[in-house]
Amino acid sequence: MNKEYINIALADDDEDDRFFFTEAFEDLKIKNRVSTFKDGIELMEFLEESSLLPDLLFLDLNMPKKSGIECLKEIKANSKFNEIIIAIYSTSSSEEDVENTFVLGANIYIKKPNDFEKLKKVLSEVVTTNWQYETSGLNKENFLLRL
Amino acid sequence: MFLTPSKLLKIVFGLGLFVILCIGGFTYKHINSLSESTEVVKDTYNLRSELEYIISNLKDAELGHRGYLLTHDSIFLEPYEESAEKIKNNLSRLDTLIIKNKIQRQNLNQLELDIAKRFVIFNKSLDIAEDKIILSQELLLLLHDGKIKMDRIRNDISVMLVYENKLLVENQKKSEQALGLTPLFLYGILVLTLVLLLIAYAKINRDLTVLSETNEDLEIFKKLTEQAEVVSKSGTWIWYVDENTYHFSDNLYKLLGVEPNSFEPSLENLFGFIHEDDREGLGQEVNSMIKNEELPFVNYRIVQPDGTIKHFKAHAQLIDNGFEDKQLLGVTLDVTDEFDNFRLIEERNLELERNNKELSAFNYVASHDLQEPLRKIQTFISRIEAKELVNLSEKGQFYIEKIKSSSSRMRMLIEDLLQYSRTNNSKNDFKNVDINLLLEQAKQELLDSIEDKNAEIISSDLPTMEVVSFQIEQLFINLISNSLKYSREGVAPVIKIKHQEILSNDVEFLQKSLFKYHHKIIFKDNGIGFEQTYSKKIFDLFNRLHGKSEYSGTGIGLAICKKIVDNHQGVIIAEGNPGVGATFTIYLPFLK
Repeated sequence: MNKEYINIALADDDEDDRFFFTEAFEDLKIKNRVSTFKDGIELMEFLEESSLLPDLLFLDLNMPKKSGIECLKEIKANSKFNEIIIAIYSTSSSEEDVENTFVLGANIYIKKPNDFEKLKKVLSEVVTTNWQYETSGLNKENFLLRL
Repeated sequence: MFLTPSKLLKIVFGLGLFVILCIGGFTYKHINSLSESTEVVKDTYNLRSELEYIISNLKDAELGHRGYLLTHDSIFLEPYEESAEKIKNNLSRLDTLIIKNKIQRQNLNQLELDIAKRFVIFNKSLDIAEDKIILSQELLLLLHDGKIKMDRIRNDISVMLVYENKLLVENQKKSEQALGLTPLFLYGILVLTLVLLLIAYAKINRDLTVLSETNEDLEIFKKLTEQAEVVSKSGTWIWYVDENTYHFSDNLYKLLGVEPNSFEPSLENLFGFIHEDDREGLGQEVNSMIKNEELPFVNYRIVQPDGTIKHFKAHAQLIDNGFEDKQLLGVTLDVTDEFDNFRLIEERNLELERNNKELSAFNYVASHDLQEPLRKIQTFISRIEAKELVNLSEKGQFYIEKIKSSSSRMRMLIEDLLQYSRTNNSKNDFKNVDINLLLEQAKQELLDSIEDKNAEIISSDLPTMEVVSFQIEQLFINLISNSLKYSREGVAPVIKIKHQEILSNDVEFLQKSLFKYHHKIIFKDNGIGFEQTYSKKIFDLFNRLHGKSEYSGTGIGLAICKKIVDNHQGVIIAEGNPGVGATFTIYLPFLK
């Protein structure tokens, strides 16, 4: 990622989670731009119209109007969004959700941490990962991020 | 070639009849020849007597002739002329008697000639005698000549008699030869016929015995069938295809809710019982039955006279044994109970499905909605700890600490409960897995606490088993973490894992198992152990043997273990020895 800024997007209906998310990125010593969306529809509208696509997209699964799974399907069906790295960002890590999102082509599955420090750690891990290298060795074992 | 009993019988009777006919023919022929030879004997006898009459008549003629010569009294001429007349008759009768024989005819001709010559001499001498009373020389010569002629006649007759005798003897010989064999022959044939008839009788007798035995068997079979029909709630029926008539068994009537034979067995009458919604469908099946002479399984409902609706199932097959008329044999079953049970099971299945859906909805709520506020509480606490803790009083800091431990305990509870409710049997997940691998993964999962406690896990080689792998891994995790949690202070935990294959019969509580073999896996630790009285209780949900402050735990871990083992149709047993250690033994069934 040779750009000046890393473009980061988050779609999450939970106001507190969006707050933690932006606060965590503010604390991180990484130049970034975070845009947040409160549901799937808002996110998709942004992606369709924006000329500057995010490098990293964090998707909550359980959202009103349009769920994370639906957004994932639409993004993966559109070649325009091929470059976007998709991280699932969810409260649960049920087998079913992990399996589904892996099959649909998400890059990583993050279970929302219950500690702010952990959150910062997780996010920095995801942002600093060399995804070009990582995607080539994609497998189910390390899909679910464990720290 | 194999002969059927009836065919054999027919042959035997045909043979007997033929033999009797033969006997009749032979007897007729022999009686015929017998009467023929009697006829011959009679002819011979007649011939002899005629010849003798001729001699005697000639003598009478001679006597009359001599009397006349002596007396010239015409009274003597009467017998002479009578005799001449008689001889003529005799000769004509002889003529009819010996028509057939050539030699005798020649002899007869000779005799006739000689007799004629004799009478010429008689007449000549009578003519002479009329003229002269005294015997002249000429008359004497004639008398002499007459005697010679008489001798010749005697000779002729004796020749004929001898010949006739010869004929008689020959004839007798011939008929004796012919008749001599007849009685023996007839007797032999009669005996043969009798033997044949006896054989036939014995055969018939035996067949009759077999028949009566078969009849008895049939009778028993019929009773059995009737009983079976009642017990199995079924009825039988026969369709005589050629006559298009039906026979219904007694129980079929009873299944319809009526008395046996209370109506004429016919399709029309049966259709009166069929539920009106099923009439059309069944009608089509019956039409195809009439066309194809076969009835596949059909289901339909009937309405009994009292209004009860019953579910029937019928099937029929054509029996064509080649000899008798074609028959379609059918069985009708009352499947109402089966149907009701099926419906009940279906209802329960639906209910179960609903329950499962509710449960998974609960799982979802628990995993998302319950965890979300909790996670936020914890995250905000972590923010306070990082940024604002210094601004709080000591008490405030203590309260924060309490909120923190309570919320983390709540998280643990929710996670364990989720784990427990997810441990459901998923039949398709059973796969052959190397158990060593699962143990290795469990150890990886617990790597931190194993290292923290400086624990040692010693395991023997474990087999490959057909299990739900994530569940068995969870089982190992829970058992090991249980041992780590309840280790004795100051003693490094040692967990020994052993395996052996056992026969189910060798273990008392496994004797009722449907499986012949069990895997026995033992987890033995050197922890604080427990009182044996709690060996069953520790598997109960939320059951804890220690206070929360002593050992952290939710009381769900071992309950999950029990549920997993139950899912695998196995048994888990705990044995404790306070201050020494605990042993968990798992029995999992398998087939060899």
